[in-house]
Amino acid sequence: MSSRQATEGRMAALLVTATLAALALAGVYIAGGQPQAEGALLGVSLGGIGVALVLWARGLASEGTVVGERGDLAGDAADEAAVEERIEEVLDEQPGRRSVLRLFWAAGGALGLAAVFPLRSLGPAPGRALLTTAWYRGARLVDVNGRPLTVGTLQVGGTLTAFPQGAQHAGDSQVVVVRVADGELRPRPGRESWSPQGYVAYSKICPHVGCPVSLYQADAHELLCPCHQSTFDVLDGARPTFGPATRSLPQLPLAVDAQGYLIAQADFDEPVGPGFWNRD
Amino acid sequence: MVAVGLVAGALAFGALTAGAAQVRPPATTTTAPARAEVAAGAQLYAVACTTCHGTEGQGVTDRGPTLIGVGAASADFYLSTGRMPLDRPRAQAERKRVAYSAVQIRQLVAFVASLGAGPAVPRIVTGSGDLAEGNRLYANNCAPCHSSAAAGGALGHAVYAPPLNRATAVQVAEAMRVGPGAMPVFGPATLDDAQAASVVRYVQYLHRPDDRGGLGLGHLGPIPEGFVAWVVGLGAMLVAVRWIGTKT
Repeated sequence: MSSRQATEGRMAALLVTATLAALALAGVYIAGGQPQAEGALLGVSLGGIGVALVLWARGLASEGTVVGERGDLAGDAADEAAVEERIEEVLDEQPGRRSVLRLFWAAGGALGLAAVFPLRSLGPAPGRALLTTAWYRGARLVDVNGRPLTVGTLQVGGTLTAFPQGAQHAGDSQVVVVRVADGELRPRPGRESWSPQGYVAYSKICPHVGCPVSLYQADAHELLCPCHQSTFDVLDGARPTFGPATRSLPQLPLAVDAQGYLIAQADFDEPVGPGFWNRD
Repeated sequence: MVAVGLVAGALAFGALTAGAAQVRPPATTTTAPARAEVAAGAQLYAVACTTCHGTEGQGVTDRGPTLIGVGAASADFYLSTGRMPLDRPRAQAERKRVAYSAVQIRQLVAFVASLGAGPAVPRIVTGSGDLAEGNRLYANNCAPCHSSAAAGGALGHAVYAPPLNRATAVQVAEAMRVGPGAMPVFGPATLDDAQAASVVRYVQYLHRPDDRGGLGLGHLGPIPEGFVAWVVGLGAMLVAVRWIGTKT
């Protein structure tokens, strides 16, 4: 009996504490709020109510272990026979077993047919969307705020992420623009005119699994992908020199227009990003 | 030792004054105190810097780059962060105890600036710049390497982007304009002075960010936060569950 009184006393203390904490929480909130104090008070209040409930439940529960005997799972032979008899009866009442079985087949078939339609939810075929980007001949390069890039935007050793003008949110079209000293690049055959005044632009999407290749080490002239440390040599057509990427970053052919703006000569000459089923 | 240094300094200064005229015309008229500062800087330079940067700041192959045209911003950044002098020439210059007094740094900076025109030490007006714009610019241009919380991070070739927690406003601005080490350069045409001020203000904010949760946990992001939630939170819950299930 005395232990019961002690439990009740503890519960009362906990509930009073919880009440006070809740009122204090309201006070702190009204006074302008302080996240840590609010969290602590909420924790004390909820915790007090919870612990009091647990104490109550434990007081209610009887002492010792109670074992409830479970009945036999298996029915006796007479019950089984009765069920079988009933099934036979039901089937005999129907127009015929054959037609019932046919209906089963029909229902199953219809369900199977219905299950085929969700295949449509795999979406429309991408068509050529994976093969091209928003870049086009003459597209100006703009930064994330839409400001066009000119030949003076970057100093040697500088870098910036650029988009085609009018398509700043085209994720597949983002390029990382780097400026290196004139003559430092070793352009691949056919790409000699793609990098005016040391400006060179590569797709920012890693050909490994598509992370943004956004880390530029200016002294080593290397672009680094933060996800799996694929490293690309900017001077050598963004050839992968380290890490899991196996293909070079696609290069955007750049030019400078009459007003000094950086423009694209054309779209990329290969699909950007990681490989897909019909890439090649 | 001192005598050798002084002689070397005198020689270097002589060589410098002889060569300076053909390197570049002075951008501004040099006043007498400024000339004295450059001369004092040349003395310091001759003692500690010539091994790697050459007697006239022309650089030494496989040791140190040329200082002609790097500007005052570069010299001030490297010296005021303790990155220079560097004992191993090809190693990444790390922030360490500053080797020179403020006066000596000013003299060395004046000397390096006199070698050729380059970015001046940026003037930072405390409290200028837009914090929200700084956040956007930082996220776009700085966070890839320095992490969103300016805690720094690993790069390739055993190089790392340093944490920015000790960088002063001027040093942050200098680093943008200079592009020290592996860092790309963000010149005035890339980020104008107002934008640079915003980035500086945001980096200063990141020194003492507004951690609404209370504990920053090193500002390393969701992994330590999840670790604490799972180990501490779930651990406490397991203890509670065990207590609830215990018979009195």
